[in-house]
Amino acid sequence: MSRATSSPARSIGAHAVLIGYTVIALFPVVLIVINSFKSRNAIFRSPLSFPTPETFDPVGYTTVMAQGDFIQYFQNSLVVTIGSLFFVILFGAMAAFALSEYRFRGNTLTGLYLALGIMIPIRLGTVAILQLMVASGLVNTLTALILVYTAQGLPLCIFILSEFMKTVSDDLKNAGRIDGLSEYRIFFRLVLPLVRPAMATVAVFTMIPIWNDLWFPLILAPSEGTKTVTLGAQIFIGQFVTNWNAVLAALSLAILPVLILYLIFSRQLIRGITSGAVK
Amino acid sequence: MSVDDQPIKRPIRWHILVFLAPAFLVYTAFMIVPLAGTLQLSLFRRIDQQLVYVGLDNFRMLFGDPRWSVNFWNALWNNCWFFIIHMLVQNPIGVLLAALLSSPKLRFRAFYRTAIFIPTILSFVIVGFVWKLILSPLWGVAPNLLDLVGLKSLFTPWLGKEEYALTTLSLISVWQFVGIPMMLIYAALLSIPDEVIEAAECDGITGLSQFWKIKLPLILPSIGIISILTFVGNFNAFDLIYTAQGALAGPNFSTDILGTFLYRAFFGFQLQLGDPNMGAAIATMMFFIILAGVCVYLFAIQTRLRRYQF
Amino acid sequence: MGSLTIENVRKSFGKVDVLKGIDLAVEDGEFVVFVGPSGCGKSTLLRVIAGLEDATSGKVLIDGVNVVATPPAKRGIAMVFQTYALYPHLTVRDNMGLGLKQAGTPAAEIDKRIGIASTMLSLEPYLQRRPAELSGGQRQRVAIGRAVVREPKLFLFDEPLSNLDAALRVNTRLEIAQLHRRLKATMIYVTHDQVEAMTLADKIVVLNAGKIEQVGAPMELYNSPANEFVAGFIGSPKMNFLDAARLGDSQAKTVGVRPEHLSVNTSSGAWKGTVVHAEHLGADTNLYLDCEKAGLITARIFGVYNAEPGATLFATPDPAKTYRFDANGQTLR
Repeated sequence: MSRATSSPARSIGAHAVLIGYTVIALFPVVLIVINSFKSRNAIFRSPLSFPTPETFDPVGYTTVMAQGDFIQYFQNSLVVTIGSLFFVILFGAMAAFALSEYRFRGNTLTGLYLALGIMIPIRLGTVAILQLMVASGLVNTLTALILVYTAQGLPLCIFILSEFMKTVSDDLKNAGRIDGLSEYRIFFRLVLPLVRPAMATVAVFTMIPIWNDLWFPLILAPSEGTKTVTLGAQIFIGQFVTNWNAVLAALSLAILPVLILYLIFSRQLIRGITSGAVK
Repeated sequence: MSVDDQPIKRPIRWHILVFLAPAFLVYTAFMIVPLAGTLQLSLFRRIDQQLVYVGLDNFRMLFGDPRWSVNFWNALWNNCWFFIIHMLVQNPIGVLLAALLSSPKLRFRAFYRTAIFIPTILSFVIVGFVWKLILSPLWGVAPNLLDLVGLKSLFTPWLGKEEYALTTLSLISVWQFVGIPMMLIYAALLSIPDEVIEAAECDGITGLSQFWKIKLPLILPSIGIISILTFVGNFNAFDLIYTAQGALAGPNFSTDILGTFLYRAFFGFQLQLGDPNMGAAIATMMFFIILAGVCVYLFAIQTRLRRYQF
Repeated sequence: MGSLTIENVRKSFGKVDVLKGIDLAVEDGEFVVFVGPSGCGKSTLLRVIAGLEDATSGKVLIDGVNVVATPPAKRGIAMVFQTYALYPHLTVRDNMGLGLKQAGTPAAEIDKRIGIASTMLSLEPYLQRRPAELSGGQRQRVAIGRAVVREPKLFLFDEPLSNLDAALRVNTRLEIAQLHRRLKATMIYVTHDQVEAMTLADKIVVLNAGKIEQVGAPMELYNSPANEFVAGFIGSPKMNFLDAARLGDSQAKTVGVRPEHLSVNTSSGAWKGTVVHAEHLGADTNLYLDCEKAGLITARIFGVYNAEPGATLFATPDPAKTYRFDANGQTLR
C-alpha cells in the first residue's frame, strides 16, 4: 500500500524533524563527553569541537580517580541495584503468578492492595522509613536501600508480570499438572521461562530509577562507605564546582555505565514498552 | 441434603501463601506501614521531648502560619506550573515524534527511537548538572549556539533569574522525559490495525486529517495514562531541582516545589532545624494531592476515554 | 480397564452454576463425545474429570474409585488440549517422556513406550525437534503421543481439532478413530462440532446450560431426539421448527422436520411457498422457502435443483420423520 500513500516530501520532512530532535536529545550528552577529554583552555575556547591531539587532556579523569572513591561507589550502586532487582523479580513474579493463576478469596483485593504503590510514591513514607531504619539499626547500610527499593519496585513488577502470566496457556500448565509437576515446578520450569522477555522489561524499568535515585541514598545511606555513584557524583561535583575538568569527567563516568547498559538492553526495553507491557 | 451433596473439602493450598508472602511482607513493611506512619506522624508534634497528639494543628500551621504557609503555597503553585509546562510541551512533542516514528517504511526507525530515549535513562543528577553547565554564562555554550542563529540577544542566565528559572527547569525535565510519552503513544499507534488505516485510505481520509480523525481518538487513552503518570511524577519531583538549584531552590525559592520543601522541612537547612512532624504533614498533603489526581483520572477521565477493542 | 462414573456433579463459580447435577456412566473401551454449544459446561465437566477443576459437590469414580480428592497426575488419565500445550523448551521425546519420568518410570520402559507411540503416530523423524519446529498437525500428534505413552485408563480430548485447518482436521479425526480402535481404550472427547461427534462417538452426551439433554448412540440422537434442543443441535442444516397451531396440531406446541425430509414439487404439496434463496453445493441444494403455513423453512434436495428466487414451490414433509414437541420442548411419542 505504501507506494500510493507515501510521498518523498513527507518522508524528508519526517526525517528532518526526527534528526532535529535527535540532535537536541544527544547534544548535551555528547558535549559533556567530548569536553571531558579536553584541557581546561580548550573547554572554554572551543566547547563545540572534538578533542584533537593538542587539546586532549585526561586530567579530569585523573582528578576524579584520585579524589573520589568512585570504584567503591560504583560497587555500592551495583550491589544495591542487582540485589533489589533480584528480589523484585523473584518476589514479584511469585506474587504475580499467585494472583493470575489461582482463584482464592481476596484475590482481587490483594491485587489492588499491591497495585496501590504504582501510583503512590514510596518517597512520601520517607519520614517513617528513616525512623524504621534508625530503630532497626540499618541506617547507612546497603541493606536498607535494597529493602526500600524492593518495596518500591514490586507493585509495577507484579502488575506487568501478572498481565503477562495471564497469557501463558492454561492448557500448558494443566498438561504439567497431569504429568505430575508440583505447583512450584510449574512456576519455575514452565511459566518463568515463558515470561522471560517480560521479566527483562521489568528488570530495565526497575533498574533505571534505582541506579539513578538520589533521594534514598542521600537520606538512608549517606556515609562514605555506602554512597552510590549517583550520590557520590552529586557530592563530588558540588565540591569541585570550579574544576571543570573534574566535573565533566565525573559526569561522563556517571553517564557511561548507564548508557552502555541501555544500549545493550534497549531492544528489550523498547519491545517491552511497545508490546503494551505498560498500558 | 444427602451426603453426596456435601461440598467437597479441599486441602489448604499452601503454595498460594508461599508465592504471595514475600512480596506482601516486604511491600507492607517498607511501603504501606511507613506511608501510614507518615500520615500518623503528621498528627503529632514534639513538645519538650514528648510526642503529643495535636490533631490537625500541623496542617493549620502549614496553611495559615506565615513561617510555613508562604513557602507551602509558593511550592504548590510552582509545582502546578511545573506540571502545566509538562502537559503543554511534553505531550504535543511526544505525539509528534511518535506519529513520525510510526509512519510506514520509515528508515532508521530503531536509531531514532533509541537515541531520543537516551535522556530518559540518565539520572536527574547528571541532567541537572549538564544543563546547568550548558546554560552557564561562564562556559558560554548556550550564547554561542544562539549566536549561530543570530539570536544571541535573547540569552540570559535563565537558571539564575527568578522569572525564568522554574520554566527553564520544567523544560529540562520535559527534555529528559519526552521519551516516555513518545514510546507509549508509539506503542498505541502501532496497535491500530493496518486494516483500519487502509480502510481510511480507501475512504479518502489521508495525511493530517487521518491523524486527527482516526488515530488521535484511538490513542487518547494512552495520552490519559501519560498525563496521570506525569502528574504523579511531577508532584513527587525533587532530584532535578535539588541538583540544579540546591535545597534552597533558588533564586529566592522561585523553583521551590513540594519535594524540595519537604526535604527542607524534614532535614532543616541553614539555621532552621529539621521538623519530622511538619515534614510528615507536607508528605501527607502530597499524598492527598496525588491521590486526588489519581482519583480524578480513574473516575472522571478514564471512564470517559473509551478503549476500543480491535 | 477404564470405566468412569459421574454422580450428581455440580460446579459453580461464585454464584454462577456451570454444572447443575451431572450423572453419567462410561464403560470400559467406549468412545464418548460431549457436545453442546459454547458455555454449556462440556469443557468444565472434562476438567472436573481430569481433576484440573474441583467439583463443588458430587462424585467422580474412575474404575469404581472416587477420585475427587486425587490430584490429576494420580488419576490415571491423560489429556490432549486444544492448543496442544507442548512444553516449548523440551524436545518431542522429552515432551512425551516428562510425565513418566516424573512418576519414576525406569528409563528403558520410557524409551520403549515412546518408541511404540512414535511409530504409531509416525513421529520418529521428529523426536529430537522442539515444538516450534513442527507444523500444527505434527504438534497435535505429539500431544496425542504424550497421552498415549502414559497408558492411561482414560483419554481426555479437549476440542483437539479446533486449531487445525479443515483438511488436516479430517485426517486427524481419522487418526483418532484408528487410535481408539487399536488401543481399545476409554476416550472422552469434547467438541462443539456435531460432525466430529457423529463421526467419532460410540456414545454422544448432549449438554446444554450445565445439564445433560440426552445420552445415546449418534443415530439414536438423530432418529429419536429426546427434545427440541437435541433435535435442533444434531443435524445440518438445522431442523425446521414450525408453530404447531398454524398447522392445525392442537396437542403439540412445535412441529419439527429435518430439511432432508422435505420434498419439493412445482405443482402440488402440503405447504405452498416462494423461493427466497437457493444454495448450490453440488451434491445437494439447500432451498429457503417462505411458506404461507409454515413460515421460513429450509429444504435440502439431493443433487442439483434449479429454482429461481421468487418461484413458487410446494414442500411436503415425510410424515414418518416428523417430530412433535410439547410446550416444554419434550418430544411427544
